[in-house]
Amino acid sequence: MKAINALSTWFLLATGLIASDQIPGGPQKRPIILRNATVHTISGETIQNGCVLFNDGKITEIGVSLSFPADAEAIDAKGQHVYPGLMESYSSIGLIEIDSIRASIDTTEIGSLNPNVRAAVAFNPDSEAIPVARANGVLTAVTAPSGGLISGRAAVMALDGWTWEGMTLLPDAAMVANWPRFAVAARRRRGEAESAPAIDNDRLGPLHDLIREVKAYSLARTKAPKNQQVDLRLDSMVPVVEGKMPILVQANTTKQIQTAIAFSKQYSLKLILMGGADAMQCANLIKEAKVPVVVSGVYRLPSRHDAAYDAAYTLPAQLQEAGISFSIASDGKFGASSLRNLPYHAATAAAFGLTEDQAVRSITLSPAEIFGVSDRIGSLSVGKDATLILTDGNILETPTQVLKAYIKGRQVDLSSKHTQLNEKYKAKYKQ
Amino acid sequence: MTNSIYRNLAFTLGILVFSSFSFGQQAAGTKPEVGIQDHKSDVIAIQNATVVPEPGKILERATIVVRDGKVVEIGIDVLPPPEAQIIDMVGKTIYAGFIDAGIELDAPPSDATKGTPHWNSEITPDRSMADVITANEATMGKLRKAGITAALIAPRDGIIKGTSAVLLTNNQSAIDSLLKSDVAMHVLLSVTRRGRNSYPNSPMGATALARQTFLDAQWHTQAWQTYHSQIGIEKPETNSALEALSQHMSAGKLVMFDAGNEQFALRADSFGREFGLNVILKGSGQEYQLLDKISKLNRTIVVPVNFPKPPNVATADAALDTELEELTHWELAPENPGRLVKAGVKIVLTSSGLSDPSELLPQIRKAIARGLDKTAAIQAITTLPAILLGIDHECGSIKPGAWANLVVTNGELWDEKTKIEEVWVRGERPLAAFKVETSIDDRWQVTLSSGATTLDSRPTKLFLNLADSTKKISGSFSLPDVRAKEEKAEKPIDKSEPVAETKKSADKKKDEQKGIAKLKNPRWEDRTLTATFPASSLIEGQSGVGFLTLALLPQSVAGSNEMLVGTIQWQDGQQQLVSAVRNPVERDENPADKKEEPKDALDEKEVAKVKEKRDEKKSSKPIYSTVQYPPGVQGRNGLPEQSNCVVFQNTTLWTSGPDGILKDADLIVQRGLIYKIGKDLAVPEGATVFDASNWQLSPGLIDCHSHMATDGGINESSQAVTAEVRIGDFIDAGDITIYRQLAGGLTSANVLHGSANPIGGQNQVIKLRWGGTYDDLKFVDAPAGIKFALGENVKQSNMEGPRTRYPQSRMGVEQLFRDRFNSAREYDALWKRWNKERTGLPPRRDLELDAIAEIIRGERWIHCHSYRQDEILGLLQVLDEYKIKIGSLQHILEGYKVADAIAKHGGTASTFSDWWAFKLEVYDAIPYNGALLHSQGVNVSFNSDDAELGRHMNHEAAKAIKYGGVEPAEALKFVTLNPAKQLRIDAQVGSLEVGKHADIAIWNGSPLSTLARCEQTWIDGRKYFDRQLDAETRKRDFALHQSLVQKILDSGESPGEKSSLANDPSRLWPHHDEFCHHGHHDDETDLSEHD
Repeated sequence: MKAINALSTWFLLATGLIASDQIPGGPQKRPIILRNATVHTISGETIQNGCVLFNDGKITEIGVSLSFPADAEAIDAKGQHVYPGLMESYSSIGLIEIDSIRASIDTTEIGSLNPNVRAAVAFNPDSEAIPVARANGVLTAVTAPSGGLISGRAAVMALDGWTWEGMTLLPDAAMVANWPRFAVAARRRRGEAESAPAIDNDRLGPLHDLIREVKAYSLARTKAPKNQQVDLRLDSMVPVVEGKMPILVQANTTKQIQTAIAFSKQYSLKLILMGGADAMQCANLIKEAKVPVVVSGVYRLPSRHDAAYDAAYTLPAQLQEAGISFSIASDGKFGASSLRNLPYHAATAAAFGLTEDQAVRSITLSPAEIFGVSDRIGSLSVGKDATLILTDGNILETPTQVLKAYIKGRQVDLSSKHTQLNEKYKAKYKQ
Repeated sequence: MTNSIYRNLAFTLGILVFSSFSFGQQAAGTKPEVGIQDHKSDVIAIQNATVVPEPGKILERATIVVRDGKVVEIGIDVLPPPEAQIIDMVGKTIYAGFIDAGIELDAPPSDATKGTPHWNSEITPDRSMADVITANEATMGKLRKAGITAALIAPRDGIIKGTSAVLLTNNQSAIDSLLKSDVAMHVLLSVTRRGRNSYPNSPMGATALARQTFLDAQWHTQAWQTYHSQIGIEKPETNSALEALSQHMSAGKLVMFDAGNEQFALRADSFGREFGLNVILKGSGQEYQLLDKISKLNRTIVVPVNFPKPPNVATADAALDTELEELTHWELAPENPGRLVKAGVKIVLTSSGLSDPSELLPQIRKAIARGLDKTAAIQAITTLPAILLGIDHECGSIKPGAWANLVVTNGELWDEKTKIEEVWVRGERPLAAFKVETSIDDRWQVTLSSGATTLDSRPTKLFLNLADSTKKISGSFSLPDVRAKEEKAEKPIDKSEPVAETKKSADKKKDEQKGIAKLKNPRWEDRTLTATFPASSLIEGQSGVGFLTLALLPQSVAGSNEMLVGTIQWQDGQQQLVSAVRNPVERDENPADKKEEPKDALDEKEVAKVKEKRDEKKSSKPIYSTVQYPPGVQGRNGLPEQSNCVVFQNTTLWTSGPDGILKDADLIVQRGLIYKIGKDLAVPEGATVFDASNWQLSPGLIDCHSHMATDGGINESSQAVTAEVRIGDFIDAGDITIYRQLAGGLTSANVLHGSANPIGGQNQVIKLRWGGTYDDLKFVDAPAGIKFALGENVKQSNMEGPRTRYPQSRMGVEQLFRDRFNSAREYDALWKRWNKERTGLPPRRDLELDAIAEIIRGERWIHCHSYRQDEILGLLQVLDEYKIKIGSLQHILEGYKVADAIAKHGGTASTFSDWWAFKLEVYDAIPYNGALLHSQGVNVSFNSDDAELGRHMNHEAAKAIKYGGVEPAEALKFVTLNPAKQLRIDAQVGSLEVGKHADIAIWNGSPLSTLARCEQTWIDGRKYFDRQLDAETRKRDFALHQSLVQKILDSGESPGEKSSLANDPSRLWPHHDEFCHHGHHDDETDLSEHD
């Protein structure tokens, strides 16, 4: 019942905003303290009856009973929970509005090598999918281009703001690569003839070529910049080859994972594995290479007909057990519209072996670490951005409502197209 | 009856009858003779062979007399007639020619412009193979060489393909090879490929079309009878296709159905029962997977022996990717014929599916090695197909009156070493057999005609040593004493091999050696040996090169020995007569007779084959013999056991019934039904008791929108109205999704046709009885239903390319409903009138209108895919006008906008919990939809429409709490009682109430918690899923997988090009609605699938 009460208060708050699209939150003007809450710091202990104080967009203090400035807005959060804002590790939010309408899709450039294109610049800040995701606590998201061998650069976006520039947390967070498939058995099942192994080897050829070209180009640009014209494709790959920008490789099968790791070691690249369905088949290798895995969805079918029914459910717990760092993404069927279910992917992993803390970490601090933004977000610790949520219960449980959300201390609107339509038609039935 | 009389006559009247046969033969032809007539002797007597006239009988040193292509006498004491050509077949074994009932050939397609054909080009029952067959030595020759002397040849393509004919496989036109026409009607209850544009483009559609056609054929006859017997009535359609089909049916002739896998066998049988057809099944080789059921069908099965090659398991990756089903099929397929015979199934074997018919015998031998009885094997290629095809009086055994179709072998048929040497069809001995392949490989004793003196001064004592065992002939003359030394060097030299220098020079020396004359340029052609040789090394006084020409005189009937006779021409032009005879003494001395080897020496490939075979033998020990169903992982031996009584004690019951949530309660299940619910219940005697205090029990979950467990294609998308197609024809009990969703607590699902058409096909409600067969899964008590659809999918909005199908707008969709409802009303009225008056033409039964009329009569429930509020209202208005109440509105994502109208109609809503934005018409979808509809009194369920989502419907239900504050117990009903009501099965399932089916999901926490897990799932009081058991079974499957992989690696067999699963129809068709969610379905996130 408490949940319902909280909900209705929140609706009152929300109704004032129905007339227009959600208005981005303004900069934090005075200190805010959330008091008497269960504070899930993620980086440290969970504090019962704890307080979180933040000012100028930064967390300034966390503790059991804090003194706070007189001008601070004090919010009694008794019985409520504070979590870092949730972070989606992989999506196409802002790049896709409606899946079936080509005009609303900006994920894919023509050709197979597009390292130069950037997701951030095509991110639509007014996408209706953004408030929908935000409403369930997802305050940060990696949004990524797709298609081809090298799809382009993924960005870490804050899910509130007036422009993509204002919302960008890290513009070139990772280079997205789609690893070739080596699907011999599947091809045979489809009745296609087996291809010779030589062809499989060749499938990495364009990537090897690309790295060699980038190295030569980079050298030429350093040594004789006047003689080497700028090449947008190669230029954008330089930070990848220098190990500064991670390369995020879509790899699910053992062979994809093995070859991706070998490739990244050969050229000293910073690798993030994305997908990782077969990660446990080569767990030692992944651990040895210290490569993080973005588990692309827990609500996922087993990757093979014969695999255990719960193969996808138990993968995070197995990775945890094996000491491999990982995050959980909600990427799957609806890459832009279903981010709000991110906590339930993590929850299902908890039902099948993760602890609840580990599950929450996999959608907060872990993705922040993997994508290089953990200095700013991902946990509740002093000095980090005040990007956090206040809930009326366990964020992993479906009925839990997000009551308040702050991005860098700015309180964001939790209404959405969905809440607006709900209110509109509730009104219809009252007439 | 008549035949046997003739046979007896022929047998008793002997010679007299023979001659009449002879004249009869000439009189039987109608073509006038041109020029001088032939009167060749057509009487042949085969003597001294071991004859197997029919399976299980053996005649040693028997005689077969053949006249005009037929056997006239057979026996041990038979005297050949004096005019007979005698063929001595001592040492040979003769079997009746084989009969193959499974051959298919391309037949010309039907031509819609000619005659009065069926409107659909897939329906060609009037196409008779006998009318279109052409002399086809390419096919017939291969069959004949494999021992197949008669074949049932059917047209290859189509749904009702036409009739087959039995032909002899002699190289003759149909006039001389056709034995019987219109033998069987051939039917495929499917289409062979995806992506057809025209109707039907799915297996469901094909079956519906076939069903309609059989009905039409019956109607056609009835209508014409009426037309002829009554005056002044409308003329029914003239249709040669229906006429042909009707005649075939009423004659009770065979109807052969292609049964592409074990499930198709059951489906074909049910179809045959619908029309009382004389069914035979053309099998797939997978019948062993459902042996019990298939053996009870009591149908003859034409069984292929194209056992699969092993999958590629050469790397760990490949082995991991290989499905258990493929491994077990590799292992068990060779046992299929044997298992069928042991189960009492009448089978005939076919070469169909083999890359070459010559593999037939080797493959049958494999089957014999794996349990097929040898006699049964012979029966299955001789007597049984003969009886099946009604040609047993003339084929299938060697007896007077039967065609002299003979297979001559060099030993017992099933012996690995036995080869077919000759195949006779209609008394015609293959030409090659007359060409006695003669070897001159031997040591010949040479006689020179006149006074030439050899080097050792002994006249005419000379040997000719010939070797021809590798097709290259070589040889030398030698004197008796030097021969021994030379023997080893006289190995034939293959000229294609490079010869080392040293060897060459050594040879030269040898050539020069006295007393040896090596033959140069020896050739053996037309039984004549020609060569040259250095004369001086052999014959005193000669120099230069001598020419040798020797012809072979075979052993004569009079008894003289084989001889080489010819001349030597010396340098000076003089000729000398030469003759030579084999040296029998020497031959006997040589125990390793080279003739043991087959004439065509084995080339490397064959050597490899032999080796492979040996290796196979080595590893052919079966790994296991219990066949699980479904084949592959998590297979079972039948349905789980149903305990007489089960008690769950001290548990939390989410009843979804009037009792709400009960704590510390007991639940008793008896014989599959819920018997008692309450606190501290007395435990009935003999009950199985579970302490369920750590568990919470909910009703088994129900999904009101699913596309799993069907391999009929989901969508028959070629027409706007396909009310005649039935999902129920194609329940696929082997879909792994069934098991995966069981593991999420799901127990019942509404398997729906897709959304490609305004009026789609008939749905089938199933229970997830994993381990059962396709009929076992059907929810018998569920009333009939049908899929309707509105909006973007039916107006083909998201389709590429030109579109011509009506409708293309929501306006047209609404009109189409009215049009069909009107038709169905008229159709119903027509039947009513006719049933009452019985005058005029009988109405034609139309399966499409049947189904729609049922809707109007309230006997079939509509489940309508719908999104936008305008189309929802439009549909409800039409339904109200026709006084139809809807079963459920599916998806109904804008239902919240018109919840009041839906409530007023009495409609129910089966919706997604929170899907949106995947296409334009769902951009206004909101997760509050369910709660809003619920608040207006509409019965609401959440559905999956998806293989993955269906695994956690309980998580979906919880969203009704989150979005709109529905009370938890009510929210759970969204996936239990409410969908049961929508499907009108709430009297049986949907809640834990006394008297209902014991369909129960057991959770380790609240069923609405994302943090809880399904531990067990029960259906009908049987435990279908148990997390602990799952782990054990997985271990079992893994061990089996590993041992089969090892066995394949040990066998050294080379892998097949394609997976054996590639041909399985259940893998060909999707298990999701392709028209629905814009590519967001993963049938299988087989991540290795996509290239």
